[in-house]
Amino acid sequence: METLNFLMQGFEVATRPENLMVALFGAFVGTIVGLLPGLGPINGVALLLPLAFALGLPPETALILLAAVYLGCEYGGRISAILLNVPGDAAAVMTTLDGYPLARQGKAGIALSLSAVSSFIGSMIATCGVVLFAPLLAKWAVAFGPAEYFVLMIFAIACLGGMVGDKPVKTLMAALIGLALATVGVDSTTGVYRFTFGSVSLSDGIQFIIVVIGFFSVSEVLLMLENTHSGQKAVKTGGRLLFNFKEFSFTFWTMVRSAVAGFVIGVLPGAGATIASAMTYMSEKRLAGSSGKFGEGDLRGLAAPEAANNASACGSLIPMLTLGVPGSGTTAVMIGALTLYNITPGPLLFEQQPDVVWGLIASLFIGNVILLVMNIPLVGLFARMLSVPNWVLVPAITAISMVGVYAVHSTTFDLVLMIGLGVFGYILRKLEFPLSALILGFVLGELMEDNLRRALSISAGDLNILWSSPISLVLWALTALMLGMPALRWWRARRTARVANA
Amino acid sequence: MYVRLFAALWLLFCAVLAVLAWGFQAPFAYDPVGPRAYPLLLLALMAAGSMWLLVKPGLLDQKLDSSSALRSVLCMLTLLAYALLFEALGFIISTALCTFTLGLLFTGRVLPCAISGVLMGVLLYGLFDYLLDVPLPLGLFEAFVES
Repeated sequence: METLNFLMQGFEVATRPENLMVALFGAFVGTIVGLLPGLGPINGVALLLPLAFALGLPPETALILLAAVYLGCEYGGRISAILLNVPGDAAAVMTTLDGYPLARQGKAGIALSLSAVSSFIGSMIATCGVVLFAPLLAKWAVAFGPAEYFVLMIFAIACLGGMVGDKPVKTLMAALIGLALATVGVDSTTGVYRFTFGSVSLSDGIQFIIVVIGFFSVSEVLLMLENTHSGQKAVKTGGRLLFNFKEFSFTFWTMVRSAVAGFVIGVLPGAGATIASAMTYMSEKRLAGSSGKFGEGDLRGLAAPEAANNASACGSLIPMLTLGVPGSGTTAVMIGALTLYNITPGPLLFEQQPDVVWGLIASLFIGNVILLVMNIPLVGLFARMLSVPNWVLVPAITAISMVGVYAVHSTTFDLVLMIGLGVFGYILRKLEFPLSALILGFVLGELMEDNLRRALSISAGDLNILWSSPISLVLWALTALMLGMPALRWWRARRTARVANA
Repeated sequence: MYVRLFAALWLLFCAVLAVLAWGFQAPFAYDPVGPRAYPLLLLALMAAGSMWLLVKPGLLDQKLDSSSALRSVLCMLTLLAYALLFEALGFIISTALCTFTLGLLFTGRVLPCAISGVLMGVLLYGLFDYLLDVPLPLGLFEAFVES
């Protein structure tokens, strides 16, 4: 009951005209950013973050904008996946598997409308999940002391290493690099300057926006240089534009199952939309057995990853809002945005800033409806965006990134630092280090050190405090499990290989 | 191969940073940990990771061919020049130049790139400086504008 009251209050915030406008704008921009190959939700949020500041938006409006962009990207990623066979963002890789064959069979209109509805159902189920579980978790999270927080963050990073899978060492290294970048600047407890190399511009630490834009936008520009695919034509959307009832009921339970699974995966800190869509696609394929035509244009293979990636995007807001620990790269950026507004996400957020939290949750419902309404009739318009040539698109991204960074401090140093980080990020990406782990590390860095030192101050330096409470013991056990997963998988793969050889 | 090279360089970098970090000492002990332990812990973990990658770099099916490497380097230099000239030349001129160069790198033709460069510089300046109130440097145009 209490939750419902808060939700009504949230709707009141979200339906203010300026917030509705912002949600509409964010959904539109998000869809475009999402459908452009290479640009994902992190880029979208990173590009709009400076804008939110420039406009002087209040925190709840800024968050609504960013959340709308996030959801919009998950909607948009499927358009290029279906029409071009190029995933618009990483989570849409699975959508290409069945979406593109469908488009080749002349069913592009059906594929696009059905995937829009799957996205809608996925987000809606997950948003209901957020309404139900976020307040519970927030209440529970108040019991977390600094020691528990520290262990929780270790768990979040271990989750990344365990879930992202094939490259656990590189993932953990990327997270460590992020953590290390966060130590640059004046130490908040003692006032000692660390790794500033005598530079005044670094004494404040490396600005969050510079890191995000450098690592994601600038390195993306360099990557796009290699994949300037020319001559690839989008499949024309012809034939029937809307799915029929039979197709909908055929995929309905797939959507529901995938949405629930995607939501759960999204809630886990560290594991994001990409993993959710891959896992649900695989399990639907297994469930369908030989009756499915997965990979050749099965509607279920289209509905599952789309429902899952939107559900996990909404689910990843839970750890962000309740614990202050991001569930995905994009929510890591959103936490950074909140801290720029001097709001620390965490259990107290629900009590201190109910307008922000519930406004955001209500805006998810509204944003979803906007996106669904926008996506079905306007899909042709969005598809035309795919023909914007790179020689216009890339300079525009570059210039907007520059403005975004320049707006923070107005120094050339920041711009050069951004380019430097971008080149470094490009090298890391070429070497297959996942950058979302790095950004997660960077966001958690300061929190992690603060909590560790606070915990040890309480215990006067006794390390035992880190594993004295039941909560932290459970978290340590989960961490060990997560770290053990890659080893287990490796061992399993080796054993099956040996059996196969024998 | 590249992973090994990177790991070796990173190991070296960690060592240098560790020497630097050793010098972080607070004049007064505010807390039992101090400013030194946490960075050193991270550096030690990173060094361990680098060593792992040195021994087991894993497979990387990336090949570096010279033409695309050259383009990447040109692109990096363009971006760097853009950053350095941003304040000196002002937003409009530097953006126009950068848009033009990047456009050419991304296989655009000369005339359209030149046009898009000028348009991008002027339009984005108008958008950000006038509509969104983000102050941008005027650079060379400053002489013409009376403040």
